[in-house]
Amino acid sequence: MVYMVGYRRSIAIAPEEKFVPYQNRMELLQGTLDLLILQTLMWGPRHGYGIAQAIRVNSGELLQVDAGSLYPALHRLEKKKWIGAEWKVSENKQDVKVYKLTAAGRKRLTEERTRWEQITDAIAGVLNPAKKENQP
Amino acid sequence: MKHWWKWRKRSDELEKEIRHHLQMAETERLERGASEYEAQAGARREFGNVGLVKELARDAWGWRWLLDLYEDLRYGMRTLGKSPGFAATAILTLALGIGANTAIFSILDAAILKPLPLKDPSALLIIEWTNSDFPAGVDNINGEFSEIPGGRVRGSSIGANLYRKLAREQTDFASVIGIADPDSVAVALDASPAEEVSLQYVSGNFFQGLEAWPRIGRPFRDEEDRVGQEPVVIVSHRFWMERLGGAGDALNRIVRINNAPARIVGVAPPEFFGLRAGQWTDVYAPLGTRARFQPGGSNGAAQGEDDRDWWVRPVGRLKPGTPESLAKMHIASLFSKLAAQEMDLEPSKIPELITLPGGRGFPALNTEAARALWILMLLVGVLLLIVCANLANLVLSRSVVRRRESAVRLALGATRARIFRQHLVESGLLGFLGGAGGLALGYILAQAIQLLFQSGRDPSSKFDLPLDLRVFGCAAFLSILTSLLFGAMPAVEAAHAELSEALKSHARSVVGGRLRLPRALVSVQIALCLTALVAAGLLGRSLENLKWADVGFDRENLAYASINPGQAGYSAEQMGAYVDRVREEIGRLPGVVSVSTVGFRLLSSGGQLSRVSIPGHPSLTEKGMVTPAQAATENWIGEGFFETLHIPLVAGRTIDRRDIHPDGEAVVVDELFARDFFPNENPIGRRFGFNPKENTRYEIAGIVRSTRYNSLRDEPVPAVYEPYARESRGPVHFAIRTTIDSGSLAQAVRAGIASVDPAVPMTEFHTQNELIDRLLRTERLLALLSGAFGVVALTLAAVGIGGVLAYAVARRTNEIGVRMALGAATTDVMRMVLRDSLWMAGTGILIGLPCAYAIGKILRATLFRLEPLDPWTAALSFLTLMAVALLAAWLPARRAMRVDPVVALRYE
Repeated sequence: MVYMVGYRRSIAIAPEEKFVPYQNRMELLQGTLDLLILQTLMWGPRHGYGIAQAIRVNSGELLQVDAGSLYPALHRLEKKKWIGAEWKVSENKQDVKVYKLTAAGRKRLTEERTRWEQITDAIAGVLNPAKKENQP
Repeated sequence: MKHWWKWRKRSDELEKEIRHHLQMAETERLERGASEYEAQAGARREFGNVGLVKELARDAWGWRWLLDLYEDLRYGMRTLGKSPGFAATAILTLALGIGANTAIFSILDAAILKPLPLKDPSALLIIEWTNSDFPAGVDNINGEFSEIPGGRVRGSSIGANLYRKLAREQTDFASVIGIADPDSVAVALDASPAEEVSLQYVSGNFFQGLEAWPRIGRPFRDEEDRVGQEPVVIVSHRFWMERLGGAGDALNRIVRINNAPARIVGVAPPEFFGLRAGQWTDVYAPLGTRARFQPGGSNGAAQGEDDRDWWVRPVGRLKPGTPESLAKMHIASLFSKLAAQEMDLEPSKIPELITLPGGRGFPALNTEAARALWILMLLVGVLLLIVCANLANLVLSRSVVRRRESAVRLALGATRARIFRQHLVESGLLGFLGGAGGLALGYILAQAIQLLFQSGRDPSSKFDLPLDLRVFGCAAFLSILTSLLFGAMPAVEAAHAELSEALKSHARSVVGGRLRLPRALVSVQIALCLTALVAAGLLGRSLENLKWADVGFDRENLAYASINPGQAGYSAEQMGAYVDRVREEIGRLPGVVSVSTVGFRLLSSGGQLSRVSIPGHPSLTEKGMVTPAQAATENWIGEGFFETLHIPLVAGRTIDRRDIHPDGEAVVVDELFARDFFPNENPIGRRFGFNPKENTRYEIAGIVRSTRYNSLRDEPVPAVYEPYARESRGPVHFAIRTTIDSGSLAQAVRAGIASVDPAVPMTEFHTQNELIDRLLRTERLLALLSGAFGVVALTLAAVGIGGVLAYAVARRTNEIGVRMALGAATTDVMRMVLRDSLWMAGTGILIGLPCAYAIGKILRATLFRLEPLDPWTAALSFLTLMAVALLAAWLPARRAMRVDPVVALRYE
């Protein structure tokens, strides 16, 4: 099974958008995609498609980032200056926008990771209460 | 614009980015062995809706609101385009309202509010003085001199030498400049005939002190401000362009000023007008040259150099960091030290210097004109409110039509905030278009009003009314304000549309079943309209009262002709004989009954008030009484003056030929003088003077009836008529009693004067009624404009009532049909509509009464012999409004009467 990674979007205005069928959609906590993107960029600069591919591969093909979430997230992160972007020319002479992590983004990543770990710990605690009580 | 380009660039980049994404996905699929078509389709499918992704990405840029605004604007334009009638009406009324406001604001701004166009104007301090009395040891004050609360007097000028010492010895100001009030002089270039221009004497440091560096040439030097130096002048930019052709060789040219040669050393910067807005001086000359250009000083001293003559206004530029209070204290003590040395006065009699903020220069308008401008500002403000109420109703009635549209948009998922904003944006668009129209209209109106405002004033005094940032800001501010005022309420209504009701096809109710909001708005409009009408009525009636006030002499068939032989080169000695010849010549003209000379033309706004001292009478101040009757107005008249003006002689004799010589003692006083200074005594043969040391200078030979002197408003002041000074050099006025119309008289007199000496032209010709009209120009302007605003307000109110009634009738067609079917007569229907109209008007009038009373109170100081609660004005305004309410109801009432029950009932 493949999960589509995305957020719930605001009210649909354009009629054609209304019934876009996103099946198997995994609703993630707000900010999770940011975390994934930042983490992916830790390993080096990448373009948008590359980021999506990296997330897919690294999640064992489980998480597939939908372009409608990826690009808004990239642009938002760029605006917040957590990632930077530059234009490069690819082997087949194409302009490619390549994203890379900034210092602020690195700091943000650490914070996000800590937060994520806290949350998963907390959720794990709720899911397995006995285990926690057994611990001294 | 910058945003737009940035946006375009990023959009292009996004496009590229997405294209690359798709290509990568496609390549990968191809590598996995898919066919080209499959790869392409698969990549697209995986990507999803490209347009949507783009939109979402753009949202992330944070410019969503801008895009929405752009969309709202486009949508708004389209909606307005679809109802051009509505758009035109709205934009026109708005343009009218905003235009009137912008026009008055730009005049108010130019005359009163705007700082001087100089470097750091707020550092300028005007230096004046206060004293308990007319300063001892001073004969003449040229400038401002007035009584202030507390029984003291305030003056604006000091002696030229005092000024120079003060400017040299003070330390708190970067410089203290000196400037005199403008004089009119005759300027001749080369051989061309002399022209009258405005000249101001200024100190040697004037241009440096104001940091107004000459356009070409150089500023004055300190040593040039001394008697006996070669006279130099600096001309205004305007003079340079118009009279000297803007040529660089204007420097060092010689001009003749009152027949004395002077060298041009500089041209003032283009927008420089000195220190008083609206006063355009053509020529500046050092203080010391006054002795050369206007010879004939008193007591043998050079004109203007004697410290008994106070005519120089000091203005200081504060050093940075020096507090004003300290500077004021220092300069005041320095002045009293200098005055004690120079004028030999006891310290208690020396005036105390004060400082006033000078950033706006000297006041450009007298209190009366300034007050008139503020009143006009208030009235146009009321007009704008009426426009807003009118537009709110218009937009509101349109929102009925658009109710379904709002409901559909809501149903499709738009938020109420978005609908609200959409409507507000549309109002804003109207406001913007109306504001733009208003700016243009305001510019034209301002020029027109300025013409009216300045009519009859010195032509050199004219405000510069540019479309500058301040005026622009005013129009922009008003557009936004009005859009909010008339747009907010309908926008709220639209956003609150009830879905279920609005989508039903027959729902027709607007706002509340009874049109409560539109009715309330109409009533507000009527209330404001009443206010405007009462203001117009009061100002109009006040003007009539002033116009027909008794002046104490026969104002009809009376005219004044003026000449200035001094400017044409006549010496003081030649003057008397020449003036006599002109007088005889005019007297011989057909249609002239009698002619006489006069120093101040009556009711021409010029005049002189002097303190009276009578031997044996303690001065009234000494007795501790403060009354205006200590002073009397002076005038200088030739023989036959009272006969010419038809001023009846009450006792004694008039002034005749033998009295007219420099030592003539016989004077005529008026009844008021006799009553105030010689109560219960026979004044004939008594003596008095205008100086305590010469209090037996004049002997009263006759008493005439009191007349108005130079104002129709002020309480009459005692008057003294002295024999005309044959040797004076100023302009000479002839009062002419005639039987023919003024046009042909003017021609005849002009020819008559030229026949005596062609070198002396007639400088002015006015009938007495023209002079009175000129005196009333501010009042006339107020009455005219407030009347115009009243008419506009009334029209808008009529449109407002008519609109609401027409809508009400249309809405009630069904009900009217039922009523008629049940037997109601057409007159009943008509009555119903008329009652509706009168009810709205009545409510409006009730609300408007306190407003009208308030505006009456505000106008009180401007009104002449009229109470703010003038019953005539009130009754007239009331009747006018009622009549308009009925008239506006006429069309809707007729439509209601013509309702055909059958059609109306089937209509449903």
